[in-house]
Amino acid sequence: MRENLFIGIDVGSSATKCVILDNTGTWLGHHVVSSGVNYADAIDTVVSHALLQAEGSKKDIAYCVSTGYGRKHVTFSDRFVTEITAHARGAREWNPSVRNIIDIGGQDTKYIRIDDNGQLIDYRMNAKCAAGTGTFLESIAVKLGMTLSELDELALKSTAPTLVNSYCTVFAGTEVIERIKEGQSPEDIAMGLFHSIASRVKEMIPCSVETVGVTGGVVEHCRALVIALEEALSGAIIEAPMPQHAGAYGAALLALESNPIFESKVDHA
Amino acid sequence: MTIAVKRVPIKARKRLQTLMHDYFLNLDAAATDSNRNVAWCTSVGPCEILTAFGYEVYFPENHGAMLGARKISHECIPAAVAIGYSAESCSYMTSDIGSALSGVSPLTEAFGISGPPKPDLLCYNTNQCREVQDWWNFFGRRHNAPVMGIGPPTHLDLVTEAHTDFVRNELSQLITRIESQTGTKMDWAKLEEAVDKSSKASSLWRKVLDTAQSHPSPITFFDGLIHMAPVILMRGSQHAIDYYTLLLAEMNERTNAKEAAVTNERFRIYWDGMPVWPKVREMSEKFFDLGLCVAASTYCNSWAFEEYTGGDPLAWMAKTSTKIFINRDETFKQKFLLDMCKQFDIDGMIFHNARTCPNNTNSRFGMAQRLRDESGLPVLVFDGDLSDVRFFSTAQTMTNIETFVEQLEGRCR
Ligand code: SF4
Repeated sequence: MRENLFIGIDVGSSATKCVILDNTGTWLGHHVVSSGVNYADAIDTVVSHALLQAEGSKKDIAYCVSTGYGRKHVTFSDRFVTEITAHARGAREWNPSVRNIIDIGGQDTKYIRIDDNGQLIDYRMNAKCAAGTGTFLESIAVKLGMTLSELDELALKSTAPTLVNSYCTVFAGTEVIERIKEGQSPEDIAMGLFHSIASRVKEMIPCSVETVGVTGGVVEHCRALVIALEEALSGAIIEAPMPQHAGAYGAALLALESNPIFESKVDHA
Repeated sequence: MTIAVKRVPIKARKRLQTLMHDYFLNLDAAATDSNRNVAWCTSVGPCEILTAFGYEVYFPENHGAMLGARKISHECIPAAVAIGYSAESCSYMTSDIGSALSGVSPLTEAFGISGPPKPDLLCYNTNQCREVQDWWNFFGRRHNAPVMGIGPPTHLDLVTEAHTDFVRNELSQLITRIESQTGTKMDWAKLEEAVDKSSKASSLWRKVLDTAQSHPSPITFFDGLIHMAPVILMRGSQHAIDYYTLLLAEMNERTNAKEAAVTNERFRIYWDGMPVWPKVREMSEKFFDLGLCVAASTYCNSWAFEEYTGGDPLAWMAKTSTKIFINRDETFKQKFLLDMCKQFDIDGMIFHNARTCPNNTNSRFGMAQRLRDESGLPVLVFDGDLSDVRFFSTAQTMTNIETFVEQLEGRCR
């Protein structure tokens, strides 16, 4: 049995993540599930699994910060923060030298810039479409009859990546079929798709930026993307240790910093 | 405990509703009266000339905005796209053309009339964009009515005498064309009167907008979007002057009583570009809840012209046509915005990248970033559109705005 647990929940459009810290900031538990169509279920699942790992129960939660697209669905949250603030906080904790962060998620890609004190200076989200996001890769993987991990595995065998020009998921799908017809290798086409994401990401980052921390579920699950990003950004990337949990970790840290001991608590039981 | 805060409504709105009702009913009556004529005109004029010729003036852009605000645009746009008007071109234009093709108009529900009045003449000013010319041409063909207009030099840094002389000459030629079209001579006394009234209404409107310099501001951009209607639709008439006299008195009262438009005004924002009409209500509520007061915008200021002090009315019209913000280059705009941020004590700037209106969008050539660097103010650029919600993501935009507040809060710590 534990007391004073600080919990961060990131309810993303694709996955829901949870991280639990104690009052020293030590990581006690985490969990991730697909968000599905019922956020309440996803939140319940990640919280109970992470609590189990942390050897605690709901009543031990001293403070909860929720973030992500579905953050308002966390009914017991003490504070809502946007995923941009949460990712910035998480990435900075993992690497204090990080000033620029790219988060590649299921539905959107974000560029975040912070100052020496961790304050947000600038941020940008991808234009409203799937280009440059996990959805882009997932849709094309489905079209090719494979999973995202299979697409990743295939891409890792590439020797001369194909150029995929189109930003649009539908047109890129057509382009892939054209390349297959031309006889280009599936490995090279697959890697071309990851390069296409990397080039979209590059458009979001000012060229004066030297190093970029990368976070997000797509980064965690696709090695090919990390390689493509390294190439596009000339090797200047710092990968977060658990990229998919950066937002939840940041939220948990913000929960800890909210100093709940002196705040009135809501009933989590 | 959270205390529910309430917006204090602007009382003049009641008068505005009556004015709008009378305006549209009068237009509708004029369109069916063989002794009266209706002219369609761009919002930036030259409506004073049309008024002086005795036309009742109707503004299609207002109809475009109403189609958006009443969430009808998306039903109409496909009909225009189907006949070759690109979905990426001005969504005021595509929704208005689509509205005519599908016989749907917000004027029916709002004022009980079947739709826009049939034009006897269509008159445009391309100082804002070329789209209006093509838009007017569609309706000219449809109603077999003459289309004419002026094309002032655009994207100006300094406005010189050569520029205004050129436009004055265009206005003169326009008058000659209308004279030969209608067989009526221009009534110069009436033109002077219309220009004088336009200028008076416009100065009062500017004073209303300037009350937002006080802390807290008694008015926001979202109120301005409603109350700017008379300065577009009724300028050149006494109605607009009377209305803004009333509104200004109310704003002064609110300022003295420290009556805030946003009850918990925390941050003062400059809004660049057009509103997202179908989302105005949602956004206004979001801004209110977050304590964001949009104290300044160039959009509402577009109809705040300089004063007419007598003399040549065409020279005044030529000046207003060339000096207007939308007609200027980025050097001018950047300086203008910096001054505005100082005057209104702005904490952050929000730029709306309206996907179908590059003309009223100022974030496409790096200006937002340059302004951020020069002013030190946080800047947010979000993607959207004036009417076509297919270019807008509510969730993404709201997250962007909430993050912007977190950024502003961070600067206060
Ligand atoms: S300025 Fe923009 S919104 Fe207005 S008519 Fe021109 S293109 Fe359309």
